[in-house]
Amino acid sequence: MAVLLSVPLFGILTIIQSAVVSRLPLNQGTADLVLVVLVALALQKVVSQTWLWGLVAGLFVDFFSGLPFGVFSVSYLAVAGLARFLRDRIWRFSFLMQLLLVLVGTLLSHGITYLILFLGGANLPFSTALQSVTLPCIILNFMLSLPVFILTQDVIEQLLPVE
Amino acid sequence: MNKRFPRSLQLIALSLVAIGILVLAFSGVFTSLSRLIVSPLTSIQTWVSLQFQGVETFISASQDIRDIRQQNTALEAENARMQAQIVELQQQLVEYEILSALLEFARANPDHQYIGAAVIGRDPSPFLNYIIINRGSDDGLKRGMPVVTQNGLAGRIVQVTATGARVSLITDPASRINVRVEPSRSAAVLTGSVTGDISLEQIPQDADVNPGNLILTSGLGGNYPPNIIVGQITSVRSFENALFQSASVQPVSDFSDLSIVLVIINFEPIDINPLLPDTGTP
Repeated sequence: MAVLLSVPLFGILTIIQSAVVSRLPLNQGTADLVLVVLVALALQKVVSQTWLWGLVAGLFVDFFSGLPFGVFSVSYLAVAGLARFLRDRIWRFSFLMQLLLVLVGTLLSHGITYLILFLGGANLPFSTALQSVTLPCIILNFMLSLPVFILTQDVIEQLLPVE
Repeated sequence: MNKRFPRSLQLIALSLVAIGILVLAFSGVFTSLSRLIVSPLTSIQTWVSLQFQGVETFISASQDIRDIRQQNTALEAENARMQAQIVELQQQLVEYEILSALLEFARANPDHQYIGAAVIGRDPSPFLNYIIINRGSDDGLKRGMPVVTQNGLAGRIVQVTATGARVSLITDPASRINVRVEPSRSAAVLTGSVTGDISLEQIPQDADVNPGNLILTSGLGGNYPPNIIVGQITSVRSFENALFQSASVQPVSDFSDLSIVLVIINFEPIDINPLLPDTGTP
């Protein structure tokens, strides 16, 4: 039932992403609030069905984005799955796992986006895209990760206490 | 005593004593004596008076402090209200300035019909220079309609929902617009980039283009109406063996701070792609 929370949560987060976070760029890159929160949630052991959380998050962002439908769904599903895979195999994960997954998620979503836009004929030199968009995005996502990670842990402990 | 001295004699004696005292007082005999007695009394009275004033000041001051604190609280609340009002008025002033500039633009270009729209968001993907506006098909908006700011061209609608629309800005990496350079009237293609800069490509080698020249839409390709200002050339790159010149362009609009835009609703884009053997440019 907790997965039902993902609908209002990611709905609100996507609106905040579009209305606020996307207007605060570093160079041309912007933080991916939805991805950072998704990773923080997926790393919590009490959160089950992480793939569903990833799918809901991806569908919301796909709905808001002008990119071909499915880019964010695929990226977020992959990140949620990877988070589940890692947390089941690593006895004690740390904040470093959050950073690693945010890095993988950013590179994955940007890689797919770049490929689609490049094949579509967009004026998108690889080195410029990397320097102007991807690297600033990674920096902003890392900066956002710490407060989101701590906040998510606290909220999850309150809402879904370990039995 | 009353028996030995009759009452009248007592009265006379007392009167004489009183007159005597008065005479002595007027003559100054009692001055030193009165100083001797009055001085310590004055000192004592002064001390008592000062102590009383101190107590009175303390009592009244605590009341004053309470009043001042209450006034301070009320003034701080009033100040906060005024500050909020100032911010609101400044926001309204900015909106008013933008709206009056948009109105000015609409008056200067009376051939078009416009609908104003507020910018409510940007695309979540940083690779796309798209904005989201709060008008949609319910307001008569359609895919392909051009969008302008008070300064000039902003982009065009690429997707419409009932209550909103997505606008591709001219700075988008996939954006290609047929333009002409004034005053030479040379044709060129304006392209966006992932950095948000725009540049002119495919300028003929013999075209006379210089920094400061204006860029306007040419209307070729049918995607935009002609004669909408887009920007100004800042630098020209020309190589001897190259087929075309290229140029950097400063857009007339500040796309990082868009809040209100106008949608041209009486322009129908024409899809000429089926007529073209090569669809390299729209």
